[in-house]
Amino acid sequence: MKRLMLYSILIALLPCTAAKLFSAAKVGEAAPEFTATASDGKSYRLADYRGKYVVLEWHNNGCPYVGKHYKSGNMQRLQKEWIGRGVAWFTILSSAPGQQGYVTASEENEYVRKMQAAPTAALLDPTGQVGHLYDAKTSPQMIVINPQGVVIYDGAIDDKPTTDLEDVPGATNYVSLALEQAMAGKQVATTTTRPYGCSVKYGDRTR
Amino acid sequence: MLVRRAIFGFSPALALGFFLLTCATCTRAESAAIPHGTLELVAENQWIAAGHDFNLGLHFELESGWHIYWINPGDSGEPPRVKWELPAGVTAGALQWPTPRRLGTPSIVDFGYQDAVTLIVPMHAKRNLGLGEPAKIAAQVKVLVCREMCIPGSAQLSLVLPVKTESPAPDARTRNLFMAARKSLPRPAPTNWKFNLDEEKDSFVLTANVGHEITQANFFPIAESQISNAAAQKLAPSAAGFRLTLQKSDQLLKPIERLKGVLALADGRAYLIDVLVSKTGAAKS
Repeated sequence: MKRLMLYSILIALLPCTAAKLFSAAKVGEAAPEFTATASDGKSYRLADYRGKYVVLEWHNNGCPYVGKHYKSGNMQRLQKEWIGRGVAWFTILSSAPGQQGYVTASEENEYVRKMQAAPTAALLDPTGQVGHLYDAKTSPQMIVINPQGVVIYDGAIDDKPTTDLEDVPGATNYVSLALEQAMAGKQVATTTTRPYGCSVKYGDRTR
Repeated sequence: MLVRRAIFGFSPALALGFFLLTCATCTRAESAAIPHGTLELVAENQWIAAGHDFNLGLHFELESGWHIYWINPGDSGEPPRVKWELPAGVTAGALQWPTPRRLGTPSIVDFGYQDAVTLIVPMHAKRNLGLGEPAKIAAQVKVLVCREMCIPGSAQLSLVLPVKTESPAPDARTRNLFMAARKSLPRPAPTNWKFNLDEEKDSFVLTANVGHEITQANFFPIAESQISNAAAQKLAPSAAGFRLTLQKSDQLLKPIERLKGVLALADGRAYLIDVLVSKTGAAKS
């Protein structure tokens, strides 16, 4: 725990080199532990969700790829469906202060209310600590973690890397597929894909 | 803008401008607005010659700081996509992509273009393309324009070109644009250049034997998810060329047979290369 805290502090201090210094989450390996404060003011620890499937969803409300899944109601539907089936779903916001997509807790709560989103919690990650631990490159990048705490999926939300709302209905959703297969005791067929979307706006941006 | 201003630049073009004013069915370029920029469909020649190839171009101009993407966008974004509406007898080839530049941050790297770029599109007109009637070529372009944020845009463009039997004459208004676009395209690597690609556990090592030392090289992979976009490409110059270490992508799950891409050297020189993964190298891993 002490070591984890030390790592956390280092990562917070060195957001631009964190991804290189520490190996990021990999499919088939233990999901890196983290603690983050959510827009509801509470603190959430990944370790507390051992025994449950966990979905991590990288979010940026100004990104049109994210917009596709919220305006179509796809993301909210997925959140409700999977939380209804016992999954914990964390929306993660890794935009640094001053960067596009950075929001305060109350702004995020307003967004969640307006969009009728239903994640377990929306985690605020302005230091990019959680983002770098998972090497999140885009919004909406998706991670699925199994009840044993192992990453079983890392990548795109589906197989249609576009901003077109009409591409949602015909798409193969990799998150649902991974959860369905894992819950049925099967091998997850597609474990890694290129996570399409907008780049995560970490604090290492030069602008 | 650029094209229209050029009409008044010199006298042969001025004469052409007069000619165009009096010719209702001649070459017309339409410029459309895209987020933070404009997009124009331009033709290299004044008319289409039945039975011949010809070139069109998609010319993007972007406000400072905004960018669009290469065929492989890198870690985020997507390349422009075109849907053609062509008269019977006209076919469109694949877009030709100029050498991109690395954009983004230390941890997330995209490949794309800032300021202005022209994507040349090779077209073909069949011999039976109707004479007399001008050909209307229309394109629907979807493009993602990004700076800190991304804005999807779409533009409907069209161009009307006369169809003739005689060899096509170049359009002076677009000459510079096409010349610049050709210069920005990667060229095939000289045939006496030899490349070798060894596979290691976490990387590919590209060895180039070009007959002289190379101290600056950057590789842009055409396919996604083969090499890490953000990882530094380690260059070791040698007397005959270089060795370039390319870290594998975390998304690379199956062995690859070849690595295709653009090798950009100093002074803007860039070459298209397609290198087979060496068998001995593959056996080691």
